[in-house]
Amino acid sequence: MTDGAAQSSSCTMPPRRSLFCKYFATLFVAAVVPLILGAAVEASFGYRDQRRQISAVLQADARSASDRIEAFTDGIRDQLGWMVQLPWSVGDDAQHKIDALRLLQQVPAIVSVSLLDETGAERVFVSRLHLNRTGRGIDMSTDPAVLGARANKVWYGPVQYQRDSEPYMRIAVAGSLPAAGVAIAEVNLKLIWDVIAAIRIGETGYAIVVDDSGHLIAHPDISLVLRGRASSGSFGRIKHLAGAASGAAAITGDRGNPVVALSVQAADVGWTVIAMQPVSEAFASIRAALWRSSILIVFGVLIALALAYWRAHRMSGPIKQLEEGVERIRTGQFEHRIKIFSGDELQQLALRFNEMASELAISQQKSVRIERLKQFLPSQVAELVEHSHELLEGQRREVAVIFGDLRGFTAFSTRNEPDVIMAVMREYYEAVGAVTTRHEATLIGFDGDGVMLLVNAPVACEQPATQAVRLAIDLQMTVQSLAGKWCDAGHAIGFGVGVAMGPATVGTVGYNGRLDYTAMGAVVNLASRLCNLAKDAQILADPTIAGRVRDSVPLASLGQRTIKGYDQALEVFAVAPADLRLKPPGSGQRRREKEPQDH
Amino acid sequence: MKRREFILLIGGGLAWPAIARAQGGAKLHRIFWVSTESQPDPFLDGFREGMRALGYVEGKTVTFETHYAPGDPQALRKIVSELQRGDIDLVVSSGPATRVMTAVTDIPVLFALSGDPVALGVVKSLAHPGTNFTGSTFLSLELAGKRVELLKDIYPKLRKLAVLSNTDHPGEPLEWRATLESCRKLGIEAAYVPFCGAREIENGLMAAGKVDADALLVFPDVVTLVHRAKIAEFAIAHRLPSMFGWSEYCDAGGLLSYGANQRTTYFRLATYADRILRGENPSDLPVMRPEKFELAVNLKTARLLGIDLDVSSILFRASKVIS
Repeated sequence: MTDGAAQSSSCTMPPRRSLFCKYFATLFVAAVVPLILGAAVEASFGYRDQRRQISAVLQADARSASDRIEAFTDGIRDQLGWMVQLPWSVGDDAQHKIDALRLLQQVPAIVSVSLLDETGAERVFVSRLHLNRTGRGIDMSTDPAVLGARANKVWYGPVQYQRDSEPYMRIAVAGSLPAAGVAIAEVNLKLIWDVIAAIRIGETGYAIVVDDSGHLIAHPDISLVLRGRASSGSFGRIKHLAGAASGAAAITGDRGNPVVALSVQAADVGWTVIAMQPVSEAFASIRAALWRSSILIVFGVLIALALAYWRAHRMSGPIKQLEEGVERIRTGQFEHRIKIFSGDELQQLALRFNEMASELAISQQKSVRIERLKQFLPSQVAELVEHSHELLEGQRREVAVIFGDLRGFTAFSTRNEPDVIMAVMREYYEAVGAVTTRHEATLIGFDGDGVMLLVNAPVACEQPATQAVRLAIDLQMTVQSLAGKWCDAGHAIGFGVGVAMGPATVGTVGYNGRLDYTAMGAVVNLASRLCNLAKDAQILADPTIAGRVRDSVPLASLGQRTIKGYDQALEVFAVAPADLRLKPPGSGQRRREKEPQDH
Repeated sequence: MKRREFILLIGGGLAWPAIARAQGGAKLHRIFWVSTESQPDPFLDGFREGMRALGYVEGKTVTFETHYAPGDPQALRKIVSELQRGDIDLVVSSGPATRVMTAVTDIPVLFALSGDPVALGVVKSLAHPGTNFTGSTFLSLELAGKRVELLKDIYPKLRKLAVLSNTDHPGEPLEWRATLESCRKLGIEAAYVPFCGAREIENGLMAAGKVDADALLVFPDVVTLVHRAKIAEFAIAHRLPSMFGWSEYCDAGGLLSYGANQRTTYFRLATYADRILRGENPSDLPVMRPEKFELAVNLKTARLLGIDLDVSSILFRASKVIS
């Protein structure tokens, strides 16, 4: 029974460590994924906040730079305004020259100043580099500076690079009175460097100024400005990219590194101030947060790994133990016990397993004991003892009862020595026992030369009547073959059989441990009477049997017979001699001898 | 777009420690200082000061090899061959020595010139030198005329001007020509007093004393700078209002000076030296020009010469007044 179960389970063996892997992976993912997701979400929100903050900072710095540049140009414009407050009069040139020289002294960025009269002719020219001029000079009435200043009061010229290197621009201011003329200042824009270089955004951030066409005007690294128009391409790109974005834009800076840039227009002069901060610095805090998160994730992963391994191991270890336990039980080691102290369902399972193993051991012991019992008891009874005690309890059921009895035994026993009698009896008992076993009938007991057999109790069978008749025939034939042998030895012994079927009370009776299974009822008496009626080599059956076996074994009616204990005569049937295929020789002679000795 | 930036940021962030490690590492830089003058060298001192301000420690991160060939540019040609040694990181040449250094093509050369480096042929343009040369020009040429004008402003009676010039100086002829042109425009007679190198300075002064001039103009260069006290003394002795190129001359007793601030100039030269030592290519570093010019006036000298500064327009224009 256990063998078969184990074989069927071992034919489809699942991969060895799959449960461990599954548990491990699931636990690991369950721990690590939320950790990584959390870090990612935090980083992305932090990034957004940081970006907003950087935009605000850059905006403020760029605006401040732009304000300072406007203050720079406004200062020059205001100073030039002083130059054109009074109308020109004769002999005024010397005083104007002094004013212009004072202006140069006041504003270091102004390289030269030209003062023009109302006709647009130059009256005074003072310069830091060139010789000063006074008196009516060249006519500049068609100069764009003059035209622009006359139209708008103030004119800001385009940025020009002297010798392709130094940035200059001209600023012209016209007086409110046309007679006051126009003042034109040439401004060295390198001086804005002071404004721009002073701006520090964070540690390494800075601001630059470019004109409308992307030419660099001011940069903390003055040498870039001195490269003139050569660098305009790269700064034009930065101006374009920074101007295109609504807030701060992440672009590649002029040093080739990634920067966050934001541009602001300086209104009057049409320049663009771009505040930049390297990405590495701008996002330093978020990077620090990322590092922290990464370290946390690494820790989390390690802990998750350890935990998942431990958990999965805790799960798969006991399962493996159970599996091994089953394997051991399969090989019959019922004393094997599983030790799991996890305090959970697995421990419970192990407990149940151990209980099962001990039950199996008991069952095994029982079956061994039954095997031993079978040597002394009819196998059916033995099986019954093993399986269902309740079957052996008293009950009423239909049974077939077979009685057999030797003829001429009394004479034989008185005539012969005990050892000869015992030898005959032993052969007889052995033959009866073999037939009983062969037909799975129940041997109720021997009574000297008589024997009583039961069919359909306690073990039920499908066709008790047919089986009983076949058993009777077999019994008769077997004993008749023995009888032939005994006859040859000079012992005249015959054998008669009676079979009857009907309800009887079956059950175990006895006392003090000595128990017998037996049947009680009219059918037992009837079978016994029929056996007595039967002649040697004859099998007599009652009408119930005859009716039941009509189709398989035809029985011949012997007519009504009066039977002791029965008020009415009963029709008795006999198994046809043809069905007793092996006819023992000399049966007729024995029958004759035997007849007077019937009891 | 935003996501890409975010990824870029994270990527950059993780690469950052590697970048941080790559920087630093102190190396001993050798700077070859070449001058046609002799020690004491005020230019070298200014440059050293600039390097110190940039964090260089002499003997530790920078070492100067000074080579002087007083008044003999030809002697420097031998020095050039020394540069073939290969362990020199940078050459700094001052004054006439630059002319000799044109033979050097594989080592960065920083110069400080009074004249025009394009005219001298060491750079292709101011904005983009395009050679192994870069540096600073003092714009003396443009200021030459201005100095004459200022001298006339303070001393309107000026008729004859003695011009003391060291001919052993790059761009000197151009400077003289510019001066001559200004004198002509202002109606002043210019008396050219040339001399060659430090050895002839005495002769030069003697010659200047003989031209019977109303005032003295001294071209700025190392020789006159080193001998500024002597020249100033000479000018006062001869009752000559004097005009110089740099304020150091006024500190030594010169009446007037107009020109760029030397300190600033050499300080900036040091920043270029720093950038070249850090690996930048001199051909990409534009030639610097001063944008601030200081007018220095020595009131004491003015008093000695009996010049009434109150009536001239000089005093309010002065950025440095020495009393």
